[in-house]
This record gives sequence, structure tokens and C-alpha cells, in this order.
Amino acid sequence: MSAFDRDAPPGPGPIRHFDFPPVERRTLSNGLDLRVARMPRLPVASVRLFMRAGEGGLGAARAGLAVLTADSLDGGTKRRGGTELAEALERIGARLDASSGWEGTSADLYCLADRLPEALGLLAESVCEPGFPAEEVDRAREQHLAGLRQRVMDPGALASDVALTRYFAQGVPYARVLDGSVESVTPLGREDLLGYADANFRPGTGGLIVVGDVDGREVATLAEKWLGSWKGTPASKDDFLVTPAATERRVLVVDRPGSVQSEVRVGHVGVECATPDYYALSVANLVLGGVFTSRLNLNLRERNGFTYGIRSGFSFRTRPGPFEISTSVGNEQTAPAVREILAELSLFAEEGPTDEEVAAARDFAAGIFGLQLETSSQIASRVTQLVVFGLPDDYFHGYRDNVRGVTTEAAAEAARRHMRPGQAQIVVVGDAEQIAGPLEALGLGPFDVLSGPPRTSHG
Amino acid sequence: MSRLHVPVERHRLDNGLKIVLSPDRSVPVVAVNLWYGVGSRNEAPGKTGFAHLFEHMMFQGSAHVPKNKHFELIERVGGTLNATTWFDRTNYFDTVPSHHLELALWLESDRMGWMLPAMDQAKLDNQRDVVKNEKLQRYDNQPYGDWDERMQAMLFPPDHPYHHTVIGSMEDIDAATLDDVARFFRSFYVPSNAVLTIAGDIDRADALALVQRYFGEIAPGGALPPLPGKTSLDPTLGRTVRDHVVSDVPLPRVIMAFRTPPYSSDDFLVAEVSRALLGMGRASRLYRRLVRERRIAKSVVAYVYPLLSGASMILAWATGYPGTELEALEAALSEEIEGLVGAEQAEVDRAIALAETDLVHTLERVSSRADLLSMFDLYFDDPARLNRELDRLRSVTVDQIRSFASERLGPDNRAVLTYQPKTTG
Repeated sequence: MSAFDRDAPPGPGPIRHFDFPPVERRTLSNGLDLRVARMPRLPVASVRLFMRAGEGGLGAARAGLAVLTADSLDGGTKRRGGTELAEALERIGARLDASSGWEGTSADLYCLADRLPEALGLLAESVCEPGFPAEEVDRAREQHLAGLRQRVMDPGALASDVALTRYFAQGVPYARVLDGSVESVTPLGREDLLGYADANFRPGTGGLIVVGDVDGREVATLAEKWLGSWKGTPASKDDFLVTPAATERRVLVVDRPGSVQSEVRVGHVGVECATPDYYALSVANLVLGGVFTSRLNLNLRERNGFTYGIRSGFSFRTRPGPFEISTSVGNEQTAPAVREILAELSLFAEEGPTDEEVAAARDFAAGIFGLQLETSSQIASRVTQLVVFGLPDDYFHGYRDNVRGVTTEAAAEAARRHMRPGQAQIVVVGDAEQIAGPLEALGLGPFDVLSGPPRTSHG
Repeated sequence: MSRLHVPVERHRLDNGLKIVLSPDRSVPVVAVNLWYGVGSRNEAPGKTGFAHLFEHMMFQGSAHVPKNKHFELIERVGGTLNATTWFDRTNYFDTVPSHHLELALWLESDRMGWMLPAMDQAKLDNQRDVVKNEKLQRYDNQPYGDWDERMQAMLFPPDHPYHHTVIGSMEDIDAATLDDVARFFRSFYVPSNAVLTIAGDIDRADALALVQRYFGEIAPGGALPPLPGKTSLDPTLGRTVRDHVVSDVPLPRVIMAFRTPPYSSDDFLVAEVSRALLGMGRASRLYRRLVRERRIAKSVVAYVYPLLSGASMILAWATGYPGTELEALEAALSEEIEGLVGAEQAEVDRAIALAETDLVHTLERVSSRADLLSMFDLYFDDPARLNRELDRLRSVTVDQIRSFASERLGPDNRAVLTYQPKTTG
């Protein structure tokens, strides 16, 4: 009936390569590392000011201080209050948002390119001359504490947060919620934030990344004008070691009576960003649980209908972040789902992926890399990664070749080395009355039931 | 003046399929985007949730494409794909490196033309389980997860197509049959009820030839079945309606909604700008007053639903702190919303400036461009409206916002939903 053969998928047309745009590097007079990429496609500018002041540099007693300090930057500057700052930005259609992660704090700006001169001045004012008015700090702290309360009552967030304490030993920052704990955040006030920002919101070892319809020299002149007199290097040091909480497989159920579904997390300590296995492991993870057609999703969703979706992933940080499989499943399917997850993980760690699976995963990773270089914000995020992790300037130029170079043997070896089903920590938030019996009967290891959320992040 | 100019070229195949082409050769990415004019509003009583379940079935294969092959082939080339179901429409989208355009067209055309031969009971049972888990995960097991069901029930009468939610009810999802799948497909998944937009790195003539090749032989559909129920509505609720929930939520929350003119009405623009004054940016009214100054709310949100049938809605949420009294929170929220009768030009200017930035930001992705072009074509037969959208917003005056506030945002048109945390021992 067709005028041509519909049976086979059509092949590709002639390929057009997508190269990472050239990045101009300059060092400002204060030492700030300025990186500018020109993307004239639309009249916008995407800016990241990265400072090496992150939660990883804080002890448990101060956990959440970097996040709260970043959040409180919207409270105003030495020259204008919070609402005035917001009005000044919004009048020119600029969006400014600061946030902290483990490695540092980033102030992100997005605006139309012709507004950059003014908007960059506001970004500089908010970061270099924060006012931290007491009432704004109090407000941000109360919001922050209420947010922690919401996490405990959200089953997904609760499962993720409890799982971290089962992966990482007590005292390792990564065992904590990024936002800190009620105990550590409650006492924080204006003086703490002023002290933290003064010591740590400094240009040294950070970077200013500007991407969009901009000229490198003009941006340098602007940056020199607004940020040139800003000096120093953050005092923050994140020189901790990562150790696991346990080396034997364990199961923890957090009871949530009346829960109609179970949130499941299976994981353990993963590996650092600088691992030589980065590409091989990334490809291996795609096969296990990184895409829709992964082994885990095809089994638990498309074959068994246990879940809406399941994913696995490594958090590649300066130090080993978590490796985690996460999903949510119906009550009756909880034990069967956990059994299937462990079976898939064990088989994969033991035998590794097939040639065909590795070829598909390599093609996916190499192809989607180009698709994710479309917008100014995507490029800005990539360049920021170079700064954060100290990667070579040409790192992304070789990305696709490195992905394509992963062999089946290398992916299998990486899976064997970095996926450890025998040490997996299993955390399930759900209705214990319905799910605990069948879960315990799986005999996966020492089994505990917690009768509700832990009181602190180290429950 | 407008800084925006997205190219728009329209065509129509003999079978009625509407085509929008929007070339941009600056990046080697292409978005293939299909909007079908069917959503939860087309569901008959007893069939709630079916449009969304059907969307899942569209990924279960077609005559020439085995189950999961669509995902596999698109992922293989580094592409992304998904679909969403909403009140008035269902959209399907693939973004791929541009040399794989033909692959995406082959896949989308096969399920538009040849879906039914691949359907079977096992696939339906499997996706029914997946959808039930989706409902559990996204609604039933979430704090505040039943809010939209409660709010729609207050704003729209039982015989109105927006009375029920897109996800629908478990019972109705359970009752769905293969016959329902076939009937729905034949009624709604026809070329004459769809818009296909291709945006990004294309040669117009080549793209059009490919569309003709893959979609041209699909048979046109008949007339669409009429919408079930009654879409005409009074412009306002006539009173304040309320619903109060005591449940396992972390913080007290007030959700307030008002009927607005439908998206198809020019007056809807005024609702859009009004919501920006309330909740767009940190200088907006709700953030400034409730979060920053009075510290009665931990967070605030305001938005509009762009709905077509009879009426639409504008909503505002305020989430309190652990000890916040709901009455005080509700009063504070009402005060700010009613306060729009005193709207000023400066805040309108800020809202327009932010809207411009946000629109340009959205247009950085060809997939978002394609989605907007499909929407404007399907809803208004006018994809080029995308290029006039900012000027339309700029045309809204302070007086219009003030009148809108006094006519639409008062107690005679207010639905209030409050959540009180259950106190546990």
C-alpha cells in the first residue's frame, strides 16, 4: 500500500558537526579568571560568577551556611534594600539568582545582551557588597527551615536524604542534606552571613563565565569596571575524605503509615569526577539505568509495570558522590521491585553490558552532547564545569571522541569496579505494615525499620 | 518594536495535516513537534484519564515500529523525546541532530497512520499499570497532591469538560479497553486534527518533501465528535466557594483561583499581565508583601491556565510557616490580589521587561519554538502570533488591569482551597 518501504527506519542525511564554541580566556587585574564564548544567535547574555565557597568546606555544625548566604543575597546590598534590588533588575528584565552546591557558590545572571552593562553592575553589587539586613536574613532562614520541614514530609526527598546517611559515614559532608539541618541552620544570623561572605565570596580560584551575543573585549572592560577592585581568595577548604557508612549490604524501611506507594533508593559511595573511568562508567550507567531504554526501565516499567520510571546515576563531584538507583513503586510491588533491581544490578556488575548495548549508549552520549550545546545557558554551564573541576580548556572538544572510544571491555570493567551490589544500601520509605514483611523475606542483609523520619539528618 | 522574528512558513497537506516550518540553521538541531487537538476535555463520563493513557499507548509501537523501538531509535542518535497530555491537546516531540530528521518523521507518521495494528491487551495492561503508578507517584502519594482535582471541581460544574483532571480516576483507567483505544484513535488521531511543526536546521523544500512522503498517504479523518457536557459558563462563580483539607501536609497552604475569560479571548491577555504583577519576579506583589515584608508566607506562586473551553483560570498559592493561621494567610492573599485595583505603570513595565527576557530565553531552544508554533497554529490558526506576542502583552493598559481586578478577582468569583497540617502525636 505504501509507495515506498516503511518497514525499515530511514538512514541519516549528511552529518553537520556541532563544535564547542571557542572560549576566550583573560585574567582580570584582580586575578579573576574570565571566560567568554560568543554565541550571536539571539540577543542574550548568560553569566555565571563562580566562587569556590561551597557546602563541602563546612563542618556539620555550620551545615547550610553557604546555601543560606547565597539565598540571602536577594535581601539587598549596602546601597539598596531587597525590593529595590529586585526592582532594579526587573526593570531591565534581568534575572539574577545565587545558589550554593558542594563545590562552590554561583551567582547566575540572564538578560538581554544590551542590558549586560547595567545587569553585571547589579550582580557585582549584590555579591561584593551584600547588605544582609537582619530582617531579610531572618526571613531567608525561616524559609530555609520550613523547606527542611517540607523535605521530611515529602516521601521522595525523605528517601533520598535518609539514603545519604546510609551511604556515607557520619561526618562526611555528603551524608548531609545540602541545605543543612534544623540544628545547624537555626542559630545562623546576620553576623554569620556577613562573616562567611567576607571570608569566602572572593574571586581567587573562581571564575566569571559570560556566554551569548557579546564581545570578549567589551565584557573584559565591563568586568574590570565592576569587579576589578574585588580581591582575595576564599578561606573555605574542602579537604575531607569520603568513607562509606557500611561495607555490608543493609536494608532500611522508614515507616510512613498510609503511604500508597514506596520510594526506593539503592546505592552506595560512587567515584570522583577525576576518575580515569569517567567515560567508561558513564556509558555503563546509561545501559543500566541512564536512559528510557535502559535495562532497569525496560524491566521495571515496560515489562513489569511496577513503576512510572526508574533511573540510575553517579553524582560526579570533586570527591566520590553517591551512585544511586531511584524509583517509586506500588505497595504490593515493593519487594518484587527491589528484588528485580538487585538482580539487574548484580547481573550487570558481574557480566557487564553487551557490545550492542555499549554501541547504543556511546551513540546516545555522543549525539546528545551536541544537542545540549544549543543555548547560552547550556554553554555557560559547561564552561563553569571546566572551572569548578579544573578541567583542561579543550576538555569538551575531545568529549565525543572520548565517549566513542569506550570499549565493551572498559565499560564492563568500570561497572565491575564501581557498582557493588554486595555493598548496596537499600532504603525504602513506605507503609511498613504492608511492605516490611515481604522486603525482609528477600534476605538481602541486616534489616531495620525506622518508625518515622529521623529527627536530624543523622538519624 | 519587536526584537523577535522567528520565521514561519505554513503548508497544508491534502489530508488536512497542517504544517509549520521554522528554519534556523545556526545549530544542527531539529525539533519535530506534533499537537493533536485532543485532551482530557474530550473524555466522556466514565472515561476520565483516557486521553493520557492513550498518549502512553502511542509509545507502544505501530505497524512498522516494534514496542519501545521509538525510544530506542531516537536515543540511539542522541535525541530526546516525550509527550504530554493537557486539557485541550496532546503533544508529541522529538529533538534530534538535524541529519536524523527523516527518522523522526518516519516514527511520528507511522503512529499517526498505522498505530492500531500494533495494539494488544498485554500492552494496554502494562501501560495501565504504569499510568496508575504515575498517578500514585505524582498525585496520591504527594502532600497537597489532590489540589487540582479539588480546585477544578470548584471552578467548573460537573457537566463541564474541565471538571475532571487530566490524570483521571483509577476506576476509569481500569475500565479502559482496546476498543476504547481504537475508537479514540479513529476519532482524534487524524491528520485533519493535528499540527506538525519542524523547527531548526532544515532546508524548507527538503523538509516539506519528506513530510509529504511520510504523512501524505495517511487518510484524513472525519468530523470531530462534539465535546461532552456543556462548555458555556457564567463569567464568574457568583460567590466564594471553598474547600478545606486537613491532611498530612508539612505546611499550611492557601490556593485561590478565579474564573477568567478563555485563552481564545483577547481579555485573557489582561489576566496574563495581572498574574505577572502578582507573582513574576521578586519585586512582584505577592513576593514583596507576603514573603519579604510581612513574612506570613514561605513561598508564593501565581499563574494562569491557557484553557479554551468557556472559561480559564488564574491561580495564586501562598504556603505559610508551621504556625501560620490559615485565616490570616487567606486574608493576606486576598488583600494583595484585590490590591491590583491600584496597579501602577512601573510594575507593568517590569513585568513586560521580564516577559521579554523569558520569551527570548524560551526561544533559544528549537524544541520550545516548535511547541509554541504548534500551539498557536492549533489554537488560533495563527503560528505567526509568536512574533506578535510581546506586542500583545505591551498593549495591556493599567486601566484594563484595574478593571479586571475589580470585575474578576473579588469574593464573587473566588474559589479557596486551604490545607491544614494534621497534628500528630
